[in-house]
Amino acid sequence: LTNLGPPSPSSTTRSLPSALALWNYHSSTTHPLSLILTEQLRLILSPTHATKMRGDFRTGKRLNIKRIIPYIASDYRRDKIWMRRAIPSKRTYQIMLALDDSQSMASLSSGSGSGDSGGGSGAENLAFETLALVSQSLRMLEAGELCILGFGERVTVAHPFDIPFTDHAGGAVFQHFTFRQRRTDMLQLVRESVALFRAARRSNGAAATNGAEIWQLEVIISDGVCEEHAAIGRLVRQAMEERIMIVFVIVDSHQPPTTINTRAGRNEEAKGTSIVDMQTAVFEADDDEGEKKLKVRRYLDGFPFGYYVVVGDVRELPGVLSQALRGWFGEVVEGGG
Amino acid sequence: METEQVNPQMRVQLSTSQLDIVLPERNRSILVNTNLRRYGLSSLVNTLLGNEKPIPFDFLINGIFLRSSLDDYLTQHAISSETTLKLEYVKAAIPPIHLASF
Ligand SMILES: [Mg+2]
Repeated sequence: LTNLGPPSPSSTTRSLPSALALWNYHSSTTHPLSLILTEQLRLILSPTHATKMRGDFRTGKRLNIKRIIPYIASDYRRDKIWMRRAIPSKRTYQIMLALDDSQSMASLSSGSGSGDSGGGSGAENLAFETLALVSQSLRMLEAGELCILGFGERVTVAHPFDIPFTDHAGGAVFQHFTFRQRRTDMLQLVRESVALFRAARRSNGAAATNGAEIWQLEVIISDGVCEEHAAIGRLVRQAMEERIMIVFVIVDSHQPPTTINTRAGRNEEAKGTSIVDMQTAVFEADDDEGEKKLKVRRYLDGFPFGYYVVVGDVRELPGVLSQALRGWFGEVVEGGG
Repeated sequence: METEQVNPQMRVQLSTSQLDIVLPERNRSILVNTNLRRYGLSSLVNTLLGNEKPIPFDFLINGIFLRSSLDDYLTQHAISSETTLKLEYVKAAIPPIHLASF
């Protein structure tokens, strides 16, 4: 019997050797994809606005038209009316990957929930592939520090910012995930992520000494099912104001396959239950009497994360993830000049 | 801080063996609050079927009628809301008098 499939990810507790084997398997199968993602991220994450004129100076190369009226009105005292060619400042990144460790990740494609022995479900494998792919790309990019979280009922740090991310560290990270947590507390994840980012910004001595700007980015990998959307939405907006970017990767093993190769475990019943088509039933107060009425709407319409992508196959990931990041950088860099 | 009521949601898979009340495929899997009980689920199926005159439905999980909220069912059976629950719906039993007239 040849060993073709991934080592079983469904054991209760994973030994370090089996976690390392799982890591090696997923990082080698996704290696070509991580090269593609690395190249795309290199273009997006490195500063490119060297030729832009900006700033308020007493001398410079070009007049800042917006400063002229205040200059005259202030009797020529507010004289910082010149712009200079901006030197692109060094950027260093603190990137957090948060992987959903809740049970729904394991039960997604098996339909009936538990009773799934060995092999692992589509969503689980997709989650591991995604984690391996993204963390490998970021390591090759050497863009900064990497932290990996697990979440569900509680948030755990599987790999902290201040330790280099090696293959051994990657294997150790896989030990943390069994997809058995009985809740998906997304609100807690966002709250604790923001707290960790604040602490990491304060303690990054390297950036302080070489004068680099710290940028912070979180990639959440999950099936996307969570509650408390309104409260999460407020936290996400607040994070954005602190220049913490959150991109949500919804792993969706119910997506139709993009190639002829169908994933094992996808069955007839799973068809049509993709998160994209998923509906949700809510009781809402009607305008007139305040009587609660049942409404059925598309789940993703109320989704609190502005930047999300739905991935049914790991091969789509480099493309959609870099597209989402490009969108965010466009908004933040252009908007905050 | 304002407090928001947390109603865990879960996926349910709706099925029936009665051909006249079968749901379209895209409506069979849906996210619902676990505080729903028979009445709420019944109006959900009526909404999904587009029934103008609601029909009362009963719900079965593993062949047993659901007589509590989904939440209570989960607690009793030590199942988490992270799993997908298979719910079979049937038209609520017609009172025996009507049966006798057939
Ligand atoms: Mg979950």
